[in-house]
Amino acid sequence: MEFDLLSSTFLVAWLAASVRLAGPLLLTALGELFAERAGVLNIGIEGIMLLGALASYLAAWQTGIIWFGVLAGIIVGIVSGTFLAWMYVTVRASQVVVGIIFNILALGLASYIYRLALGQVSGPQTVTMFKTMPVPVLSEIPFLGPVLFNHSLPVYLTAILVLVAGYVLYHSKFGLKLRAVGENPHAADTAGINVSTMRYFGVLISGAAAGAAGAYLVLAQVGQFRESIVAGQGFIALAIVIFGRWSPYKAALAALVFGAADALQLSLQLFQVDVPPQILLSLPYALTIIAMSGIIGKANQPEAFMIPFKRE
Amino acid sequence: MPQFFKRRLEPSDSVWAVTATTTLSIVAALCVGGLLFIPFGANPLDAYSALFAEGFTSWRGFGYTLVKASPLILVGLGTVCAWRTGFGYLGFEGCLLVGAAAATWVSLSTVEGGLLGPLPFALFLPLAVVAAVVSGGIWAGIVGVFRGRFGGNEVITSLMMNYIAIFVVQYLVSGPLRAPGDLPQSPRLPRDTWLPYVLEGTRAHGGIIIAVIAAVVVWVVLLKSRVGYELIVTGLNPKAARFGGINVGRMQILAAFIAGGLAALAGMVEVLGVHHRLLDGLSEGTGFIGIVAALLGKLHPLGVVIASVLYAGMSVGADAMQRQAGLPASIIFIVQSLIVLFVLASDVLRYFSLNWPPRQLSGNERAMTTTSTEN
Repeated sequence: MEFDLLSSTFLVAWLAASVRLAGPLLLTALGELFAERAGVLNIGIEGIMLLGALASYLAAWQTGIIWFGVLAGIIVGIVSGTFLAWMYVTVRASQVVVGIIFNILALGLASYIYRLALGQVSGPQTVTMFKTMPVPVLSEIPFLGPVLFNHSLPVYLTAILVLVAGYVLYHSKFGLKLRAVGENPHAADTAGINVSTMRYFGVLISGAAAGAAGAYLVLAQVGQFRESIVAGQGFIALAIVIFGRWSPYKAALAALVFGAADALQLSLQLFQVDVPPQILLSLPYALTIIAMSGIIGKANQPEAFMIPFKRE
Repeated sequence: MPQFFKRRLEPSDSVWAVTATTTLSIVAALCVGGLLFIPFGANPLDAYSALFAEGFTSWRGFGYTLVKASPLILVGLGTVCAWRTGFGYLGFEGCLLVGAAAATWVSLSTVEGGLLGPLPFALFLPLAVVAAVVSGGIWAGIVGVFRGRFGGNEVITSLMMNYIAIFVVQYLVSGPLRAPGDLPQSPRLPRDTWLPYVLEGTRAHGGIIIAVIAAVVVWVVLLKSRVGYELIVTGLNPKAARFGGINVGRMQILAAFIAGGLAALAGMVEVLGVHHRLLDGLSEGTGFIGIVAALLGKLHPLGVVIASVLYAGMSVGADAMQRQAGLPASIIFIVQSLIVLFVLASDVLRYFSLNWPPRQLSGNERAMTTTSTEN
């Protein structure tokens, strides 16, 4: 195959793939943003994504209805989020420890439940997936059309959620309270805001989003479940939140950067270009590390990030 | 109405309370785990005894237990050093890979005509240890410098470093170190550089000896030496440590270096003792499970050894169970993580003390039991 990095067919294919791959990452990151803005680092989103993927797969497979799959993913996300929020906020256990252990628990649970549910069935069963839905008129625009407006429904919904998240976070009372709790919980408490409740909400939103992202992976990208379906995408979402400096809009850009790196190394392999794909793949992580390293000024993290709150 | 429990303002720290809640949570986790056997038609008690039988009562199985325990002990020790210094490092997976790569490189350099030429094992091993420890130490040390010098967040950076390590290994086995053939893996290491088998008739290799020596060294350094004292004080209260004349930043960097070096040794042990080559997907979560072992061992070197051997034995038993009875091995992941989560959650129980025999609570106490003081 003739390889021309700047040919417009390649660019279109690459950018469209970037958008597609960025979707679930961005959805997870948008939820995590709410938890972190409330002052909680929820590392457990990796595990929630996996459980959400399994639940949505089983529901969609059993009922044959795609939206039951979505619902199952979200419900499992909320249930897991409730448990995690209880551990983080009420028990005040170390957020890092709880998150890491929960991910191991989720891996075990997913593998166990999958065996239990499909023990007798031979071979992986595929489920119906979201179909590509070109947006009328807009998808006809040259270049931008196929890149932005020729995707499946979850991609568009995620894009809309970016705006919703931005509105809620910056222009609603709920968002103001949430940010207050993450910046200065004691002041917020004095002002009559219930710190625990707001933090529960933050973690629940991150759980619901991660569960939905798991459903996204199954119902819009893979069409079946396997234990390696998430493979670190939850951790990447953590990176996106930080790389996007805790803003939904910047997170959308950050997710595109990660998606683009992933898509580019896939196409470079296809074209057999002699660049180690690992260099491209590690670039976004390296940027996140630099953003978090403290070298170029403090990453503007919420003041009470990772600090459990206890009324004096 | 008689009240059987009364609420305390602060959690009880008595030995009795801690022991009781910990035991209760372990039993609860085992009970929940036991339920998981039932859908597969197995009796939970039989299943649990079978889980321990293979890894501890059969000689061959015990050998496998030691094989699996070695990297867990080393990663667990790394966790102890880092976390007790207040350095919330999560990058052991990456250090393990980097150490494995370094050991592979040294080993491959000993072939005829290689950089080092043939070496006796007694000379090779120290060289491999130094290479692994230094590379893993620097790998984690980078994060340590970010934290100690610039105040960065070590949790996120160390997680991201894991990915970069995965890519480094992927690059090595698909490029510079790739063996001829279809699979992305390094050539087989020269036989003279393999860790010798230490128990007749088993696969147990010298890695367990390295792990135990490391545990003793960590115990002496961390709990009996001046440096160890400074590390632990830094973890307990960095402000007080600073007032006491301890250079907190330097202590965190030191802890990072030690922790990374220990986890890198785990990688070396895996390569020289088990796989005998570098390959992608070498670690499979050992860097995280070692953290669990450290937490179960209460962040004490001796506890880490015990917890790692128990964990390893259980996973050997679980593998055997999966082979023989078709029970999913994933149950032990569930049981182990439930134990840690329940032990953490049991902290809330220590806010209650037993009111036995039931007596009427005073007005003040009653107010506390009815209105939650949590927030």
